Amino acid sequence: MSDEPASASETDTSAVADMIGIWAPRGNEVRVVAGTAIILGLFPFVFARMPVLSGLLQGYQSLATLILIWGIFALGFDLLLGYTGLLSFGHAAFWGGAAYAAGVFSQQVSGSPILMVAAGTAFAVLLAWLLGFLSLRRGGIYFAILTLAFAQMLFYMSSSPLASITGGENGFTGVETAELFGIFGLESDLPAVLGLLLGTWLYLFVAIITLLCVALAYRILNSPYGMVFRAIRENEQRAEFVGLNVWRYRLMSFILSGFFAGVAGSLFVIHGSYVPLASLYWTTSGEVVIMTVLGGTGSLFGPIVGAGVYLYVENIVSGGHPFDFIAPFWHLILGLVFVVTIWVFPRGIWGFVRDVRDLVTGGED
Amino acid sequence: MSFHIEVITVLLNGLQQGAIYILLAVGLSIILGTLKFVNFAHGALYLIGTYAGLLLALEINLTSGLLQEWGYGQIGLDLGYIPALLLVPLVVFVVGLAMERWVVEPFKNRPDTDQILVTFGLAIVVQEVFRIFFGSSSLPFSQPAWAEGAPQVPFLVQIPISSWRYYVILITAVLVAIVYLLVEFTDFGLIVRAGTRDPEMVELLGIRLSRPYIVVFGIGAALAGVAGVVGGPLNPVNPTIGNDILVPAFLTVVIGGVGSIAGATLGGVIFGLTYAILVATFSSWAQVGLYAIAAVILLVRPQGLLGEAEVAP
Repeated sequence: MSDEPASASETDTSAVADMIGIWAPRGNEVRVVAGTAIILGLFPFVFARMPVLSGLLQGYQSLATLILIWGIFALGFDLLLGYTGLLSFGHAAFWGGAAYAAGVFSQQVSGSPILMVAAGTAFAVLLAWLLGFLSLRRGGIYFAILTLAFAQMLFYMSSSPLASITGGENGFTGVETAELFGIFGLESDLPAVLGLLLGTWLYLFVAIITLLCVALAYRILNSPYGMVFRAIRENEQRAEFVGLNVWRYRLMSFILSGFFAGVAGSLFVIHGSYVPLASLYWTTSGEVVIMTVLGGTGSLFGPIVGAGVYLYVENIVSGGHPFDFIAPFWHLILGLVFVVTIWVFPRGIWGFVRDVRDLVTGGED
Repeated sequence: MSFHIEVITVLLNGLQQGAIYILLAVGLSIILGTLKFVNFAHGALYLIGTYAGLLLALEINLTSGLLQEWGYGQIGLDLGYIPALLLVPLVVFVVGLAMERWVVEPFKNRPDTDQILVTFGLAIVVQEVFRIFFGSSSLPFSQPAWAEGAPQVPFLVQIPISSWRYYVILITAVLVAIVYLLVEFTDFGLIVRAGTRDPEMVELLGIRLSRPYIVVFGIGAALAGVAGVVGGPLNPVNPTIGNDILVPAFLTVVIGGVGSIAGATLGGVIFGLTYAILVATFSSWAQVGLYAIAAVILLVRPQGLLGEAEVAP
């Protein structure tokens, strides 16, 4: 994030050099992004098609895609909770709002997946700007309750006054997703080895966006701008005294987190071709809270892991067969694990993994 | 039905709905004001109150859930409503004491967000336990036979509202008055209020604060339990009712002003009346209007209608 405006006397070449400088990878970025790409590439194969392991895991392609989508949502949520230290209970508004916006966009304007994501995300960002502006007047519990109230308002808006657009209680069913670039049907398999590895075009599409989101989040969090978020979390007053405008950074963090929620919400409607009304209810906000905390707040990959664990339990453990004896209790188990996590391991699964790694490697990063 | 009777009906319905919010909000508010603890499990206490009331007052047939599978499909003590009204607050009071001791105490010095998260998790656990044992389908919690019809008052026009709703309003008024008197005019209340202002000084004076605090939490919980019993027969009873009532209850607290009993009461009355009036006029906007009003009040007066700016956390 370079704050210096380029002066008029500078030549074109230095402007270009600046541009390259901004986009050049820093620190571990190449390692992180490449590692993420490899994991994203292998994940659906291991999870859904690998001979022995996938049989044990009972995984399937569609769930792999869904895990990435919720992973993006949780990643964005962690930007707010884990890095800026604000607990929002209203993120369902951005997730569900973007899903509705993308769905309506596909019906009325264009079914191109990329445009749908753009439309849904734009809606979520505008909404986040508005709601953030209104709810960030008070910190702590007031922020949690205000975001909750605004999100609930949106839920009731779409449940009855706007039912003619949103479909009310039945949810929005008129989603018409077209082919990617007008050629590739999202549900069809990728050619040759890619098909074996990644499965469908939809997964490839979602995986590429996930990769971009991870790279963007990494870049934000490791920039001076992202450092300010952490400074505010650690000590708001000190950040204020140093001369930072805490309110603006918080608003920006809220909007950024709304952006990720919007991307995820739009992908969710492309994935499911349907927007349930419950996607706006406050328990959806609760789900992303659980995923983030379970995976580990204040880390880049923790929330994605948390989303994976949550959805795995919700979809596979609840289904029976190898988990017959605990299947009816899946939600209770998640609740208990969540409580224990906050109580004993506030840094979540990822924090636990890091502690173990530090123990093994002697604490070197 | 003439117009003024319709108006009175709507207002009474609103007051009754507000009364449920008030019972929950007063409890939440005194807990938040004195213990500085954010209890997202207050809806769960309401849920416990409703189920405890149902099982004490009636005998019901379960249609799903583990108890039914184990052959205890017909369950309940069938003691009637009055014993239930007296026993449930005691039960939930004890639950509240346990919760203060085992949950609030360990989380006293952790950030607000951790308190919200842990109580939110506990609320899920409680809800799921009830779902597993009693099934997720709605259970019949009928109003008592003696409170079903409209009250017959000589020389007055009859208002088509069951007597139960009057009792709800009456019970709420009495309980809130008792809590108010307890906090404002007794030695116990004095210690609690002093502890709210300056806990360190109170403890330096040799007064132990942990006991009054645990009692405050118990009272708040008991009020939620009462709300569960009196509110139970008015709505379908299923495991999600706690989740559904939590958000309006919290909003009642913050629009009234944290820590203020009068504020919570005012907030509840405003909420109940607004909701009832909107249901009678623009019914599809009723819920939206509720949240819109809350948002406007909080934006204009962030500390709540009767809240003090500096006390609020």
